[in-house]
Amino acid sequence: MIDSELDPYVEWIAREARRPVVTDQAARDRIMASVRAEPLPQRRPRLWERVLEPRAFRLSPAGSALIAAGLVGIGVLAGGFVHNRDGGLPVGLSPIAVVPQTQLPVSDTVVKFVFVAPQAGKVSVVGDFNGWDSTKTPLVRAPNGAVWTVELPLSAGRHLYSFVVDGSWSADPSAPLAPDDGFGHANSVKLVRRGSAL
Amino acid sequence: MTCVSRGASRRPSLSLLWGAVALVLSGALPAVAQDPDPLSKLDPSSKFAVELLIDSANTLGLPSDYLRSTALQGIALKVDGKRIVVECRKKFNLLKTAHAILGSVGGEELKAGASVLYAGAKPNQLAPFKARQQNRNDLEAFTIWADLITRGVPSEEASSAITKLWQDGADDATFYGLWNNVQSDILKGLNPGAAFQNRIRETPGRPTANKVTPPEGQENQSSR
Amino acid sequence: MSDDAADVQRVLAGDVDAYAALVDRYYDRCARFAIRMLGNRDDAEDALQATFLRAYRALNRYQERDRFSAWLYRILVNQCRSVAARRSHRERVFVREEALLLNAPDRTPNWSGEDEEFVQRVLNELDPLLREAFLLKHIEEMSYEEMSALTGVGVSALKMRVKRACDRLRERWERIKND
Repeated sequence: MIDSELDPYVEWIAREARRPVVTDQAARDRIMASVRAEPLPQRRPRLWERVLEPRAFRLSPAGSALIAAGLVGIGVLAGGFVHNRDGGLPVGLSPIAVVPQTQLPVSDTVVKFVFVAPQAGKVSVVGDFNGWDSTKTPLVRAPNGAVWTVELPLSAGRHLYSFVVDGSWSADPSAPLAPDDGFGHANSVKLVRRGSAL
Repeated sequence: MTCVSRGASRRPSLSLLWGAVALVLSGALPAVAQDPDPLSKLDPSSKFAVELLIDSANTLGLPSDYLRSTALQGIALKVDGKRIVVECRKKFNLLKTAHAILGSVGGEELKAGASVLYAGAKPNQLAPFKARQQNRNDLEAFTIWADLITRGVPSEEASSAITKLWQDGADDATFYGLWNNVQSDILKGLNPGAAFQNRIRETPGRPTANKVTPPEGQENQSSR
Repeated sequence: MSDDAADVQRVLAGDVDAYAALVDRYYDRCARFAIRMLGNRDDAEDALQATFLRAYRALNRYQERDRFSAWLYRILVNQCRSVAARRSHRERVFVREEALLLNAPDRTPNWSGEDEEFVQRVLNELDPLLREAFLLKHIEEMSYEEMSALTGVGVSALKMRVKRACDRLRERWERIKND
């Protein structure tokens, strides 16, 4: 049986549940303390010792054939068991999509982003308004060559953003900083009021 | 799900098979037409955890776009998935805290409040902002507050001063002006605490009850 | 002779400390199953204590042709069932993901610790027989034949239990999504 029934959620549960648990050495010590308080288990004669004990029995030719067939069958079954052992979890299953329900207010304000970078070859703006995708909102170099700008309609509210200058992220020096990046980089904050460009 | 159809019959009839194919195609085609979910760039475990947090935020009426944006930024910066989840969970908890303190305010204000907490303000320092006049918005105050702490202004000083300004009825322009002056002084080389103390004294509606003393070492750094 | 078989022979020859090697070798894996199965560490430790003690007492009946791990697991599964039955009167509180997330601590460097709690709660909601089958299949990663030998339950019944466990988990997720 192939375990293709495992969807990402179940797969995640299984993967997390497979993580080792933290155990306490004291618990093992308690087990050994109990074990030492027990009498020693008495060794029984091993199977081969019992099998090799001299005894008399008779076997008919038909009985021999049945036993031989049975042994072959066991071998086949055992081989089947080995090869049918179910393996790991499936990969490449389509993940569950959850559409966020909370949306920003409707856009009604055009915001101009300005960045001064005379030496830069490429400048774009990334933020919560474009999925932090540096390819979506490039800035255009002004004729004087130093100032890069782009105008963007934004919804009213608080927006986090950064400039990407030749691949490096840079906060906007003319805007307040946001602490809540969490990835070792400071974003800037743009507050957009309804109907009033900042 | 595949599990159900496979379990129903070991050898499905041809019509059932075609039905299943049609079902799969009907579900798959719209998905192909859409942009792929950018969260899919996360490993499945992290993606699930982020989606669960987003889902939980939606259930609680919290602005889940704050969490989604965090995850997308982490993806853009090629941050490890587990770190992204940790960050999203941290912000989820901050949103809850902000919501518990500020009450029924808009999502943007909750995000700004969470940001102040993220910067290092204590939850009880947000409490005075719950009592507000109708139509008064604390976005600017929260944004400036968080920025000042981020730039190195001692959290206690920034918190008490911003709160006092807010309680005295300072408007957005006052907060912005304070920030503009402080960050300008910091850029000139002043110690953030000293820059803040200098500028708060000349800000209209500045706190009078809390006389603040310059932080240690201020003299050396502000003499430049 | 495997390490396990050699250790068993040493114990039977009078070297009790050799049993500590077996305990060390299998304790963590058994503990993972017991904790996942029983949902709390106290019950799990009871089951583990009883398992290793019973295995010790029965060591003279262990046959070398069996894998020691499979033999030990058979005892463990039974002990977990016994502990679960004894403690079944306990009130079980199942918490939804949302509630768990609400209580998640702020400081979250210990990723696995938080998720362990979350996953445990999810598993706790499964019927014990489904949970047992799911754990043996997807956490212990046994074949259905191994599971059958361990539990005495037929392969087809075990497949059905695993499938139902997966279905329950998936339905649960669908409920959360649609709330």
